[in-house]
Amino acid sequence: MGSSAIDVLVIGVSHRTAPVAMRERLAVVPEAVGAMLAELAALPAVREAALISTCNRVEIYAAVEDADRAAQGLAEALASRAGVTSLELGAHLYERRDTEAVQHLFRVASSLDSLVLGEPQILGQTKQAHEAAVRGGSAGAVLNACFQRAFRVARRVRRETAIARNPVSVSSVAIELVRQVFGDFAGRQVLVVGAGKMSELAARTLRTHGATLTVTNRTRARADELARRFGATASDWSDLTGALTRADIVIASTGAQRPVLTHVMLTQVQRARRGRPLFLLDIAVPRDVEPEAGQLSGVYLADIDNLQKVADEHREGRKSEAADAEAIVEQEVGRFVKAWRGRQLAPTVTALRAHVLGVAQAEASRISATMPGLGERERRALLDLADGIAKKLLHAPQMALRNDDTDGLSLVTAVQRLFELQVATATASEPESEDDDAPAARDLDDQKVAGR
Amino acid sequence: MATLTVVEIGVYALAATIYLGFLLGLRRSADKVGRLVLALALVLHFGDIGARCIHRVNPISSTPEAMSLVAFLIAAGYFLATLRYRLAAAGAFAVPAALAVLVLARVVPAEADAPAMGSLGRAHVLLASIGVAIFALAAVLAFLYLLEDRQLKRKQFGRVIGQGTPLDTLDRLALRCVSIGFPIFTVAIVTGAMWVARLGLLRDATALRPEYLFAVATWVAFGILLVARVGAGWRGRRAAWLTLGGFGGAMLVLATYFLRHAA
Repeated sequence: MGSSAIDVLVIGVSHRTAPVAMRERLAVVPEAVGAMLAELAALPAVREAALISTCNRVEIYAAVEDADRAAQGLAEALASRAGVTSLELGAHLYERRDTEAVQHLFRVASSLDSLVLGEPQILGQTKQAHEAAVRGGSAGAVLNACFQRAFRVARRVRRETAIARNPVSVSSVAIELVRQVFGDFAGRQVLVVGAGKMSELAARTLRTHGATLTVTNRTRARADELARRFGATASDWSDLTGALTRADIVIASTGAQRPVLTHVMLTQVQRARRGRPLFLLDIAVPRDVEPEAGQLSGVYLADIDNLQKVADEHREGRKSEAADAEAIVEQEVGRFVKAWRGRQLAPTVTALRAHVLGVAQAEASRISATMPGLGERERRALLDLADGIAKKLLHAPQMALRNDDTDGLSLVTAVQRLFELQVATATASEPESEDDDAPAARDLDDQKVAGR
Repeated sequence: MATLTVVEIGVYALAATIYLGFLLGLRRSADKVGRLVLALALVLHFGDIGARCIHRVNPISSTPEAMSLVAFLIAAGYFLATLRYRLAAAGAFAVPAALAVLVLARVVPAEADAPAMGSLGRAHVLLASIGVAIFALAAVLAFLYLLEDRQLKRKQFGRVIGQGTPLDTLDRLALRCVSIGFPIFTVAIVTGAMWVARLGLLRDATALRPEYLFAVATWVAFGILLVARVGAGWRGRRAAWLTLGGFGGAMLVLATYFLRHAA
């Protein structure tokens, strides 16, 4: 065990510190992660290593013996991978140690450090990073505990705050709006008019939810091509009103300079539809749907600005939720460190007691051996006296160990060094909850009672 | 007022507050807590009705008792619907409506000159109570439909998302309520007319009370709605307005009863 609360550090770059060009150079493809981890874990002073590599961040988490040496080795490994000098990389690199490293991991997993606050992918990516480290054998007790707790913190943040509740991308806002009208998409008819990138995204999402897609375009060949790409059926442009009559949801994104879906056309269509609701998502610029059409009974119309506005509002909403999320992370870091310290404490206390009581008993036995006239009762009294003195002396250090909350050279380490205690390094798994320090605390209490 | 009644009204009020809090955005979720409190209110209310039955005051013996039954049916119907659909926003209307009807029922004294009920009278009051409660639920759904429709039309999309029940579901559920309530209400009107005829209250035109007209108007409104829905595919806003209109008629019937007894 080293000299701090948790001997873990993180070193890396993210969208906050490095331009995409640098992140690209550092990124590690999934196939190369195993080899990279083996290389990192073999560095001097590094005991465990895990690697998160996404388009927004490349970070190495490591359990270390000597943080300075480990940090230097890891930074050099990253620089050589990117083909830049340590100095060049250093301008973009950040490093967190101990409690701050744990906090960073919790924030990353909870998507508080993401480009889009609250986005859900990062939790999955963090899990993959941990799994890869476990598979490669580079994750041990320390990183397992940190990552497992990070996943739980992330889940708690999602459960207790609205940080991930409302959609923040234009296409997901569109999907949610449509859901507000139709409930589910199973069996719904989606008509894609024209084809932009955004309409493709929304259409594909709707299809995965069970909607049926039809594509129409001014040129039939293009419609056929799009239909093949979307897994849809193509419809002839001349049958636009027929296709509209059959549709529930229309995604319009043609390159036309004037609206292709006019108020007059949609009035006729809505009459033929006998009032069935029709949702028009107009994501073309210039717009494809005449705005007045949105006033027709049963017709709902959202254009790109409307969707963008909602996405922006939600983004702002997430920011205000972030304060609550940060408070949760803060609290969880505190609990985790406390629990971790508790687990470190128990073996040290046990070793200290064994050491001191052992010395006392050995000395008492030695003295009694030099006094052959002593009866059994006196010998017992002598042993009890030695035991009693040792326990009285142990009481104060035990309490001090328990209440130690220094972040630097902890008392645990000091006691281990002062008494030359051989303590097995902790712990196979994550401290489960804030009560997880209870066993260690209970040990102390039991021993305190015994010591009286 | 009996202690049980006061407690049951208090618990209904708490449930109503929870659902209103959800609608106004003060609470993130009303589904679990609101449903739990409402369930407690229903148990108390059921116990209250049961206790009155033991004291030979059955729920169809007078207008106030029937009103209490209507309140119970509205709340119970809403509660059952929440087991299947996400309807927290509707709770902000259904639960206060049930509460209002219950309070009204408990403050208005039973009529002193109530005509002899007989089996026809009992059937009329029971069926009318069930019919009105179902129409009340339809009206709540229709009202919510109009509210959401308006928000969508005004592009208040941010307020709509995540708020609750999809428009299509509201439309379908409201129709289902009307389809179930209409035949029950029809039989209630027929038995009511037969009961009134038997009592000899219809001998001349001056004996025609306004509530008879309102009841028939209610029946006609819901009848038109059902025919137009099936025949001409009426749905959405028009259907919602007609549902509210029909329910307004039913409310006028009850209001006339109360005004007469209060006078």
